[in-house]
Amino acid sequence: MNDFSSGTQATVLILFTTLVTVTLLMCVMAGPDRDDLTNFYTGYLSLTPLKNGLAIAGDYISAATVLSTAGIIALAGYDGYVLAVSTALSLVLLMFLMAEPLRNAGKFTMGDVLARNMPGRAVRIAACVVTLSATLPFLVVQLSGAGSLLTFILNIPHLAGARTVCIVIVGSLMIIYAAIGGMRGTALMQMIKIVLLLGTSVVVAALVLNRFDWSPGDVLRAAQAGSGAGPAYLRQGLQLGTSAVDRLDFASLQITVVLGVACLPHITMRLYSARDVPAVRRSMSWAVGTVTTFCLLVIIMGTGAAALVGSRYITAADPHGRTSVLMLSQVLGGARGSLGATILYSAVAGMVFITLLSSVAGMTLAAASSLAHDLFAHAARRGQAEPRTEMTVAAWTSVAVGTLAIALSTLVENWDVAVLTTLAVCIGASAVAPALTYSLFWRGFTRTGLLATLYGGAACALLLMVFSKAVSGTPAAVFPHADFHLFPMQSTGLVSIPFGYLAGWLGSRLDHRRRAADSREHRRLYEESEARLLAAAE
Amino acid sequence: MTYADENRYPPSATGWPLPHTAPQSYGPDSYGRDPYGYDSYGHDAAPYGSYGRAPWDQSYEHETDRRRADLATLRSAYRLLRRISTLTALGSFVVYVVLSCYAPGLMGAKITGELSLGMALGVLQLVVTFAAVFWYGRSAQRSVDPLARTVRERVARTGRNAGVAG
Repeated sequence: MNDFSSGTQATVLILFTTLVTVTLLMCVMAGPDRDDLTNFYTGYLSLTPLKNGLAIAGDYISAATVLSTAGIIALAGYDGYVLAVSTALSLVLLMFLMAEPLRNAGKFTMGDVLARNMPGRAVRIAACVVTLSATLPFLVVQLSGAGSLLTFILNIPHLAGARTVCIVIVGSLMIIYAAIGGMRGTALMQMIKIVLLLGTSVVVAALVLNRFDWSPGDVLRAAQAGSGAGPAYLRQGLQLGTSAVDRLDFASLQITVVLGVACLPHITMRLYSARDVPAVRRSMSWAVGTVTTFCLLVIIMGTGAAALVGSRYITAADPHGRTSVLMLSQVLGGARGSLGATILYSAVAGMVFITLLSSVAGMTLAAASSLAHDLFAHAARRGQAEPRTEMTVAAWTSVAVGTLAIALSTLVENWDVAVLTTLAVCIGASAVAPALTYSLFWRGFTRTGLLATLYGGAACALLLMVFSKAVSGTPAAVFPHADFHLFPMQSTGLVSIPFGYLAGWLGSRLDHRRRAADSREHRRLYEESEARLLAAAE
Repeated sequence: MTYADENRYPPSATGWPLPHTAPQSYGPDSYGRDPYGYDSYGHDAAPYGSYGRAPWDQSYEHETDRRRADLATLRSAYRLLRRISTLTALGSFVVYVVLSCYAPGLMGAKITGELSLGMALGVLQLVVTFAAVFWYGRSAQRSVDPLARTVRERVARTGRNAGVAG
C-alpha cells in the first residue's frame, strides 16, 4: 500500500527537517530566563485566551487521540463515533466542573492544588507518583508508536534497528523541546501543531466529501462496504463485541474517557497559566471549540478511510488502524508520484509528525515539572529551594524522564502496547479526577482521604489492568499466548472509578474519627482559602 | 467563541440577585486588566478613613460577617451553575451511551438515507457543544462574576482594616 516514489520520500524528509528546525528555533527564542520559575512553568501568564486555548487544545489532542481515534472509526465505525464524542465531552466537563477553581487553586503543578490545604511531603510525593504513573504510559505508547509510524511514513524496511533509531530521534527532540522551551516553548509548539492539524484535517475531510459529491449517505454506504462489516459498521459493538459484558465494557470505557482524559496533569497544567478567571473561561471556550471541530473532522476522515482504503488494507498495515489517515491521504492524492499526491501525503505526514513531537514534549514537561516542583522543591527541600536550582533540576528531570521513556519504548517496541493509553486514562479517571473533585469541592476532605484516593485509585486501575482482557487471554492482547486474565473487560473504569471515590471518602471518615483535630484543621484551611478558590481573592 | 459583548452588561441589568454592594467604579474594561479591583480601592478609601477612629473591631466584625455572607452567595451561585451544566452534559452523554449499548435497534433506525438516529445524535452532541459552551460563558459572566468581584473587593478591604489594627 505504501509504495510511493523516492521524490515523495525526499519531500517528506525535507518537510520534517524544516518543521524540526523552525520549532526548535522558536523554542530557543521563547525559552524562559534562567532564574524565573513562573516563566518556566507558566510562561509569564502572558498568553492571550485564544493562544492559551489553542495550546490547551494542542496538548489535549495527542498523537494517540488523532491516530487511534481515526483508526477505531475506520475499523469499528459507530464505536469510534462515540469515542470521538466522549473525547470532546471530556474537555467540556473539565471546563464546566473544574477549570475555574482549578486555575485559582493551582500555581504550577497538580501537587500545588492538592497540597494547598494539606501541607506535607506525603501529599507532594503522592501527587508526583500519580502524575508520573499517568504520563509515563502515555509517553511510552506514543514513542514506541513513533517508531513504526515513522518507518511507515518514510517507507523504511521494517527492521528493528530502524525503529529504534526513529524512537531515539523523536525522544531526543522531545527532551530538547521540554528542557529548553519550558511551558512557553511547548505552548508555541502546540499552537503550531493545532493550526497545522486543523488545516490539514479540513482539507482531507473536504477531499473525502468531494470524492462522494458532498453526500454523507454515499460516504456511509461506501464505508459500510469498505469495512466489510455491512450495516454492523453503523451499530455499536464492532470494537469490543456485542455480548452483555462487552456492552458494559464499552459503556465503562466511554465514561472513563469522559472523566479521565481531561484530568490528566499535562492538560490541567495549562490552566494555571491563564491570567484570571474570565481568561481561563475564554481559553477553555477556544479549546473546546477547536477540539470539537477536530472531532467532527476526524469522524469524516475515519469514515473516509473505511470507504476509500478499506479495512483489509488498514488492518494489514496496523491492526489498530493507526495508519489509516496516512493511507487515506495516499488514496485521495490521486495518481502515484503526481504533484497533488506528493503534497497531500507530505502535509499529512508532517501533521502526524508534529502532533507526535508536540504531544510527547508536553507530557515530558508535565512529568518533569512535577518531579522538580513537587518532589525536589517541596518534598526534598521543603519549599526552600532556590528558583535557579529548581529550574536547573526541572531541565535535568526532563532529560531523565525522556531517557526513561525512550528506554522503555525501545524495550516494548515489538509489543502491542496500545493498552497503555487505556491505563493512563483509567488512572486519570480513578485517581486524578476523584482527588481533584474532592480537594476542590469537599471541605471535609483530609490527608488520609487524599492519599487513599491517589494511591488506591491508581493501584486499583493498575492491578485490574494487569489482570484484564487487554493484557492476556485474547488474540489482540499484549500477551496473546498467555492467559492470566481475571477481569473480563478491556478498561477498568467500571470498578476503579467508584473505588477511587470510595477510598477518598473512607479515608476522610477515618481521619474524622481518629484524628479529629487534624481534620478540623484541614476544614479550617479549606474555608480560609475558599475566597481564593472561588473568587481569586488574595 | 469570544464574547464580543464581554462586560457590556452592567451588574444591575443581569436579573440575578445582586449582593449588597457599594457602588462600583468599574469601567467597561477594568475586569480584564485589573482583576483585583484596585482601582475601586481608591474611591472607597475616603469613607473608610473615618471608620478608623470608630471602635474598629465592631466594623471589622461587621465586615467579616458580610464577607462570609458574600462568599456563601458566591458559593451557591457557582454550585448551581456547576450542577446544571455538568449534569446536563454528563447526563445526556450517559443516556446516549446507554441507548447505543442497550437499544441498538432504536439507535440504528434510519432517519434519512444512511443516517441512523445514533449517528445523528452523536454529531448533534458535538454541534450542541458549541452552544453549551457559549451558554456557560454567558451565564457565568452574569451570575458568578459580579459576586466574585464583590468578594474580592471585600477581602481586599478587610485585609487592609486588619492591617490598620495590627
